[in-house]
Amino acid sequence: MKQKMRIKPWLYSLPALILIAVVLVFPIGYTAYISFTNMNLYHWNDYHLIGFANYARALFKLDAGFLSALLTTIIWTVLNMAIQLTAGFFLALALNARGLRLKRIYKTALMIPWAVPAYLSILLWRVGMFNTEFGILNKLLVLLGFEKVDFLANNTIAFCSCMVLNLWMALPFMISTIDGALQSVDRNLYESATLDGAGFWSQIWRITVPAIKPIIAPAAVMTTFITFKQFDIIYLLTQQRGYMTGATLNTVITYAHQNAFASNNYGLSSAVSVLLFLLIIAFSMVTNRSLKEESA
Amino acid sequence: MKKKKDFRSGCKLVVLNVFFTVLCLVVLVPILYALSVSFSGKGAALSGGLSLLPENPTLENYRTILFDKPFLLWLKNSALLSVGTIAVAMFCAIPAAYAASRWRFAGRTSMLRMLLVLNAFPQVLSLFALFRVLKMTGLLNAHAGLIMIYAGSMCVFAIWNLKGYFDTIPRSIEEAARMDGAGDLSLIARVVLPLARPAIIVTCVMVLITVWNEYLFATTFLLDKNAYSLAGGLYQLQSNDYSRNWSVFTAASMLSTLPILLVFFKVQKYMVSGLTAGGVKE
Amino acid sequence: MKKAIALILALVLVLSLGACAPKQQQDNPQQTGDQAKPVAVKIWHDGDENIMNTIAEQVNAKLADEKITVEFEKKTDMASQLRLYGNDPVNAPDMYFYAHDVLGSFVTMDLLAPLTDLVDASLWKDHLPMTVQAGQIGGTQYLLPVYFETLILLYNKNLWKGEIPGTTEELYAYMKENTDAAAGTYALVNQHTNAYNVSPFVNGFGGFIINADGKPGFNDPKTIAAAEYNRKFGALQADGDYNTVTTLFNEGKAAGIIGGPWLVSGIEAAGISYGVASLSDIKLPNGNGLAPFSGVQGVGVLKTALKDKKDAVAKVLTAMAAPEVGVALAKKSGCAPANNLSYNDAEVSANPIISAIQKTAATAQPMPNIPEMGSMWGPAEAMFTAINKNGVDPAKAGADAQAAAEQAIADMH
Repeated sequence: MKQKMRIKPWLYSLPALILIAVVLVFPIGYTAYISFTNMNLYHWNDYHLIGFANYARALFKLDAGFLSALLTTIIWTVLNMAIQLTAGFFLALALNARGLRLKRIYKTALMIPWAVPAYLSILLWRVGMFNTEFGILNKLLVLLGFEKVDFLANNTIAFCSCMVLNLWMALPFMISTIDGALQSVDRNLYESATLDGAGFWSQIWRITVPAIKPIIAPAAVMTTFITFKQFDIIYLLTQQRGYMTGATLNTVITYAHQNAFASNNYGLSSAVSVLLFLLIIAFSMVTNRSLKEESA
Repeated sequence: MKKKKDFRSGCKLVVLNVFFTVLCLVVLVPILYALSVSFSGKGAALSGGLSLLPENPTLENYRTILFDKPFLLWLKNSALLSVGTIAVAMFCAIPAAYAASRWRFAGRTSMLRMLLVLNAFPQVLSLFALFRVLKMTGLLNAHAGLIMIYAGSMCVFAIWNLKGYFDTIPRSIEEAARMDGAGDLSLIARVVLPLARPAIIVTCVMVLITVWNEYLFATTFLLDKNAYSLAGGLYQLQSNDYSRNWSVFTAASMLSTLPILLVFFKVQKYMVSGLTAGGVKE
Repeated sequence: MKKAIALILALVLVLSLGACAPKQQQDNPQQTGDQAKPVAVKIWHDGDENIMNTIAEQVNAKLADEKITVEFEKKTDMASQLRLYGNDPVNAPDMYFYAHDVLGSFVTMDLLAPLTDLVDASLWKDHLPMTVQAGQIGGTQYLLPVYFETLILLYNKNLWKGEIPGTTEELYAYMKENTDAAAGTYALVNQHTNAYNVSPFVNGFGGFIINADGKPGFNDPKTIAAAEYNRKFGALQADGDYNTVTTLFNEGKAAGIIGGPWLVSGIEAAGISYGVASLSDIKLPNGNGLAPFSGVQGVGVLKTALKDKKDAVAKVLTAMAAPEVGVALAKKSGCAPANNLSYNDAEVSANPIISAIQKTAATAQPMPNIPEMGSMWGPAEAMFTAINKNGVDPAKAGADAQAAAEQAIADMH
């Protein structure tokens, strides 16, 4: 029986593990293999192992550009998550206010951006909102008598624009999640707290937050990774070839992409990717701490 | 005293209603804009005024995208890819999630954690390696190849989300069934899955959204224009030159949003509990 | 245990289901000499569908008796796609149609077959020498030129006041006079941060993006001076991305646009009455005319096509080299044919766009086609964007771009 219990869980996990091995593990392994070869334009078919040479050069790429990309990534992830969690929390709380009859309508309206395919959202915002000539934001500014603003022209404003778009795309999920979590909080707790004379804020801090924290933790962790990995928004909004807007904003992902694929040197770009993966492992170890509590 | 309280909460509700009305309008501006453009005639397409009402309303753009472009074909492909991905992802994830939720076995925690780390690796950097995988398996230019990739990348999320929900289902329910002699698999099928319906549905919806959104792999690994998914087809259609048919593009955006929106409405009641692992307390 | 076996069986089923999934695309192996079997020659491109349709119509009509058809397929970011699929015998196209600047990288990757493996060099004896040379790497012909293009100045006859100025300074004065950015109306728009569209200034100043030896020229004082000079024009040219400037012109918000023949079908669809001027007629302060890059558009043959479709591809090449293809392209899309014989057609030689391009071709410089060229667009665009949009000092932007370009070249090896 004991023997069986050792094998059975893995048997059940086998389909998933095989799939994950093929789609997630193998590419990383293959990338690691290529990173030790000289595969590039000049050795497209006849590449061979060259040891750690690519890593020596890839480490060289972890320069000021990479460090600032790393910093941007951290700010991007932290800021986005902070805003998403706080705004999501208070919006969900407000939606659950007693007597708000139109809750369903509001909620549905707020969910709509989630349904728009990401690529379409980004292009819609880029042209329909941010464009200096056709964007609604600039039309509004001109109408109000202000100068036109190029919302993607430099790093600060482009960062804000990217973040607004990311929030627009991601908040519906967060509101949904937190709204769901709020339903599970025992109403009786509030009533007894009210009897004890606890005010609105203290109820939130002492009852609501602790109650929903473990419930939204998995979703929050997932969203953190998604935010960290976010590539499309920054890439499609500011740095598509032929459509560069002037911002030189980079997260580590766009930086790796830019450095890796511009030169078609797959050996070198793989080394950069592997280094990035090591970095992600380190990053995960930090976030894992919060998970440990959850899974304990 | 009671009156005063009623008055205050009444005020609060008015404020909240105003706030949400304004918020919803602001949030919906890009969508209203797209809707308006999609009904506009050719002239006012890009540079039209600030008004969110189309000047010369027309259905021409919708006709163009539906009948002059392979939109319906792409829609069919997207549906096919979504259903395929959901089937494969759930087939793999449900037993794994059940195992992780119910049994404590050596390597369980590290497996779960490992999955998260793997999930964090950006797939845009694996593009070339995935190309090799598909080439080796002969799945280039085939929907099956994309389904495998999508299912693999969503598998981690599915396992985590389902495991979280399974954790909340009391074991006592299972014990009763076990008494009747049900094995593990029939237990999953007959007892756990029906109870975990919200989580299953919501996980499926998340997979659906991912497949519906994905354009990079769809345009890289599929070569036949008629095999593209919606996002891939529209990306290909507009990536270089959207100036010529911006209004058609917005019509396409609206049309490709619609199916997801309908699914949302359909499953809204499950959203609440299914997303939040363990949200429902018995 | 039974259950476990069932589980594994189900898994095998799913996986094999995937492996057996029908291929979307069918191969068309051709037995040499078997004339009865229809052959489809697949050509990838990333250009204007109308132009490709015109070529396909011409070639398919010529080869109808042989049952050979060409099928053009549009691929976004075709160069990257071809790098991935180029040596995949199952999925690679048979030919590709693209500008000559990516030729070097494809040849370096050993994806292309020399054209003389399929046809005789006399096939392009009547082609303009400039276009033939653009299709060569190391003296070997890899690209059959079909048409060529340069930037031209297109203007809206109802909006442009008076003549097109003869100097850039007069042009600037005109732009200053007739541009109202707040109202969204512009005199002349250009993709002023795109290296291809800034090339008239760069080349006219005697600067360069990259020379024949593979040395980037972003920190060359002449390139920097050109970028600096371009800045004041850029300030009056809106956002400068392709879709913005094209829309401004097509919707009558911009009186003129610097662009190419690829814009013509859109302009005509918008119902704009337009005129054309050659950029080489507009003189820079140093007396040189604006000197844009010229791009030679043509077809190359993938090595993988030689095995089964060698004869068919050779026939397609021969059909595409015929002067009638150039004539049709000229009439329908205003492309300047690479085949000199096409100009014997009176309508072609009288076409204003084509004569403008032909005139510009005298001062135009063919884009470099060395493999390093592919890595230059990014740094170049970054340089012009930094200067025009963020007010970065041109010398500094040039130095940064030079460093990035040199790094990119070093990274290639």
